[in-house]
Amino acid sequence: MNQAVKGPGDLIREVLEQNQCTVCGLCVGMCPYIKTVSQKVAIIHSCGLKEGNCYKACPRTGINLPELDDMVFGQERKDQALGFNRGIYFARATDTAITQAAQYGGVTTALMAFAVDQGMVSGAALSGGTSLSPRPVIARTAREVISCAGSKYTAVPTLTALNKAVGEGLQCVGVVGRPCQIAAVRKGQALSRTDPSARIPASRAGLVIGLFCFWSLGFDFYRYLEEKAGGDEIVKVDIPVEGLAVTTAKGTGVWPVDEIRPYIREVCNTCADCTSEWADVSVGSTEYDPAWNTLVVRSDAGQSLVNRALEKAVIEIKPYPEERLKILRKAALNKKMRVLQNLDRPGPEYLTVPAEYLSEIKQQWEELQS
Amino acid sequence: MSIFGVGLDQPGRSVLLTGNEAVARGAIEAGVAFAACYPGSPTAEVLPTLAQLGEKFNIYTEFSTNEKVAIEAAAAASFAGLRSLTICKVDGFNVALDFATAISLSGNKGGMVIMVGDDPNAHSSIKEEDCRFLARTASLPLLEPATVMEAKEITKFAFELSEKIMLPVVVRCTTRICHASGDVKLGELPTAEKKASLTRDQKFVTTPLFSQFMKSKIKNAADMAECSPFNYYTGPENAEKIVIACGPSYNYALEAVEILGLKDSVGVLKISTTWPLPENLILRYLKSAREVVFVEEIDSFLEDGVMTLAAKYWDEVGKVKFYGKNSGHVASPKGPFAGELDPDVVTGCLGKIFNAHYESPGLPNIKEARDLLNNNLPGRELALCAGCPHRASYWAIKTAVELDGRNAIVLGDIGCYSLGLVRTGYSLLQSVHCMGAGIGIASGLGKLDRFQFKQPVIAVLGDSTFYHAAPQALINARYNQSSMLCIILDNETTAMTGHQPHPGRGISATGQPLGKVEIEAILAGMGIPVTVHDPYDVEGTTEVVYKILQETGPRALVLRRACALMAVKGRKKNRVYVDQDKCIGDDCGCARFCSRVFACPANIWDAQRGRASIDEAVCNGCGVCASLCPQQAIVVERTV
Ligand SMILES: Cc1cc2nc3c(=O)[nH]c(=O)nc-3n(C[C@H](O)[C@H](O)[C@H](O)COP(=O)(O)OP(=O)(O)OC[C@H]3O[C@@H](n4cnc5c(N)ncnc54)[C@H](O)[C@@H]3O)c2cc1C
Repeated sequence: MNQAVKGPGDLIREVLEQNQCTVCGLCVGMCPYIKTVSQKVAIIHSCGLKEGNCYKACPRTGINLPELDDMVFGQERKDQALGFNRGIYFARATDTAITQAAQYGGVTTALMAFAVDQGMVSGAALSGGTSLSPRPVIARTAREVISCAGSKYTAVPTLTALNKAVGEGLQCVGVVGRPCQIAAVRKGQALSRTDPSARIPASRAGLVIGLFCFWSLGFDFYRYLEEKAGGDEIVKVDIPVEGLAVTTAKGTGVWPVDEIRPYIREVCNTCADCTSEWADVSVGSTEYDPAWNTLVVRSDAGQSLVNRALEKAVIEIKPYPEERLKILRKAALNKKMRVLQNLDRPGPEYLTVPAEYLSEIKQQWEELQS
Repeated sequence: MSIFGVGLDQPGRSVLLTGNEAVARGAIEAGVAFAACYPGSPTAEVLPTLAQLGEKFNIYTEFSTNEKVAIEAAAAASFAGLRSLTICKVDGFNVALDFATAISLSGNKGGMVIMVGDDPNAHSSIKEEDCRFLARTASLPLLEPATVMEAKEITKFAFELSEKIMLPVVVRCTTRICHASGDVKLGELPTAEKKASLTRDQKFVTTPLFSQFMKSKIKNAADMAECSPFNYYTGPENAEKIVIACGPSYNYALEAVEILGLKDSVGVLKISTTWPLPENLILRYLKSAREVVFVEEIDSFLEDGVMTLAAKYWDEVGKVKFYGKNSGHVASPKGPFAGELDPDVVTGCLGKIFNAHYESPGLPNIKEARDLLNNNLPGRELALCAGCPHRASYWAIKTAVELDGRNAIVLGDIGCYSLGLVRTGYSLLQSVHCMGAGIGIASGLGKLDRFQFKQPVIAVLGDSTFYHAAPQALINARYNQSSMLCIILDNETTAMTGHQPHPGRGISATGQPLGKVEIEAILAGMGIPVTVHDPYDVEGTTEVVYKILQETGPRALVLRRACALMAVKGRKKNRVYVDQDKCIGDDCGCARFCSRVFACPANIWDAQRGRASIDEAVCNGCGVCASLCPQQAIVVERTV
């Protein structure tokens, strides 16, 4: 995607110093010099090399939409709002142990636990820990997958767990990630395809489940959250339309979403993908019924996973209501338009969006208005 | 021979001892009852020698927390009429100086000797300092042995001198005396019973009124120096050219005069009572001399003293030309006021001064030796030992500081970890001065916020240094609420000087259990929040350092892991090796991290196979490199 010889120095200048690091974790652990702590990524020592996979694989040094579409799905997208997909459903897990622990319907956890159980993946890179101190986790059993259920609304560098798992010799590692993380995994896989000698651990990713995500929150959010919890243990954090909902043993408190806006990470304002467009399947809320998820089936692998999960009754699905789909597509397109600056001027430099995609976005946006 | 020789009851027999052992023997022959020391090279072995023989000769020995406490404790024994010895290095004598300047006013009772090690060329020090100026400042007489044998004799004599003039006496030994071995003729062992007695009416107080009394004591010492058997002259009568030398330099000078064939024209005056000087003795030789050369190490103490003397008696001395450090004529390859002398250097200097031909033979076969070694010896940079927990701590601190991104200032201290100054310690440290100074500086930097100084401040120091000098600085930081993080690299020993115990080890100089003085408890008592972590867990340590760095106020972190050399002593080590199928050599983005950047001496590069490798003979099995290898190509076979 980027032809010039570029490496860690360029990564610092173009991404890290510009606050454009998504904290996906892809580059962390690929070498001993890139480290992360508390949602910060830094190159702690100069390796002295001019060229590096850290630069090449970073999702913020170049994303070419049609190229990635082609690599993952073998064809370009028709739906500019949600990206390539084979079907959209309301879905939920059937196991109450999962739904109780999960953010919404537990489809993400159910599918990944199922994949681990069935040996479709040898483990999964997930985001465990608590809302106040989340951390990347390698889950090797269904139980470990379940222990990672629940959304942490901050930028967990999940892909460090993927790198670690690959380093430990795991093949075909499942990933659950935010859109930026899914893009990073796919970019890494694309790189390995064009240059088989490039050693990118992400290329060993197996099933990739993407989350819906319009933004994540910065490190300072923890202090805010801690304050709101008032010292009590946090059971759940959710951001429904009403605002921020924090549940402790004492009950649930809700604060207006405007209060957390200042914590939205700068980098999220230049992200045009809010549904993990290159995942095998994407999962989000329904913004309607918290017991259910939105499930977007995208790739062949995603389809067969869902088929097998349905066969074994691990999840159940129902049709996506037409009016809800319209709302979802509108929201997704709206974000794209904002990021691509209403399509008049070029959007963020790292994004390559061809003219026909841009005109289709415009067209589909207008269709939705009627 | 060593410890056995030191304890032998065979007067007249010659045994081979090191200078440090000779001092111990001298003290034993003098009937020393009490010895206290904070270990420092080059004198670190004296106290352990006495400790091993303590039972046999009824000597109490202790490692004190610092030199000031050591000299005070030793003074106590002297006040009670016992003979006492304090052992330190010159840097430690600085610490003890406050008390030293006071006891010269109060005087002492039992013979009290302070052995101070000076380290020309700073072999195991951070600076070269000359303790003779300190002895003069404190008004304590100072003696300097020139040989190992003399080290024993002078030590023994120093106790007698101290009792006669009622002042502690300093014995200055340079590294070449302490660490050299030589024949020592044993003397009689004492038989008198050692009994402490201090009555209510005996007082040891200081008042300025006593200063005249003190001066008269020094005058006494000078009078005694006039006929001291440790000062002597070799050479022609009424020589016009003389060399005045002290310490090991005397031997070099003697040898140089012989090599240059100048024995008939150049005399050599050896002075061992360098302070106060025997004025009449020196004047006797000065009067005939037209050219005088000074040969001594570190500073121009003898030279300055004799030149002052010449000025005082200028009408008797007449016209003399002086050569020495001040004129630049007597200099080590590093310069007149740095480095060490040796026979070759001194012969070269005297040859030039006296116009006598001398061509240094250099080292024989040096070229052949170099060729041979270059191909067969691995290059070894100055670095922490293999498996040293400080390396892991430093990598974690460096990582946390870089992640923090606010340009934290990292201040160092005295210990093995001073290597944080150099490349192999990731050039992390920005200052190293004297024990405890890092925290003092940190407590100052931590108060500069009102001047727009916003960088975090870290002071790094070791456990032994903590007990030695940290508490006062930490109390200051806590009292004044200075924003600084104190990181204690606790390897559970005084590693740099040879694993002497300290309060955190909870064992005495003789190995008896005493109960630990816990660092955490001290900090907690001060009201400084403290966290403890294992530095071998680099990732966890990084997180902890980062987290504490975000906080403000005085705070502390103990990174605790036993010194790798101590941990593996007599024990089985983990085997660590590189799986060369997993290591991808120069194809890895790490750019030879383990052998080049991490810089553990056990991580080496297998040039033949283009892969990383482990020198298993050197490796201490810590496995830290394995946790940092991005290919996870380093395997740790755990046996411990
Ligand atoms: C930062 C963030 C923002 C989001 N914003 C939206 C949104 O605007 N609209 C919407 O519809 N949905 C959003 N989601 C997705 C939603 O919160 C649920 O994660 C999703 O609907 C799946 O629900 P579930 O019940 O299947 O989840 P669960 O079964 O509980 O599984 C959650 C999975 O998410 C992973 N995870 C948790 N936190 C993170 C994280 N920070 N980064 C990467 N992976 C993580 C866990 O490993 C776990 O596997 C967001 C999620 C995150 C993490």
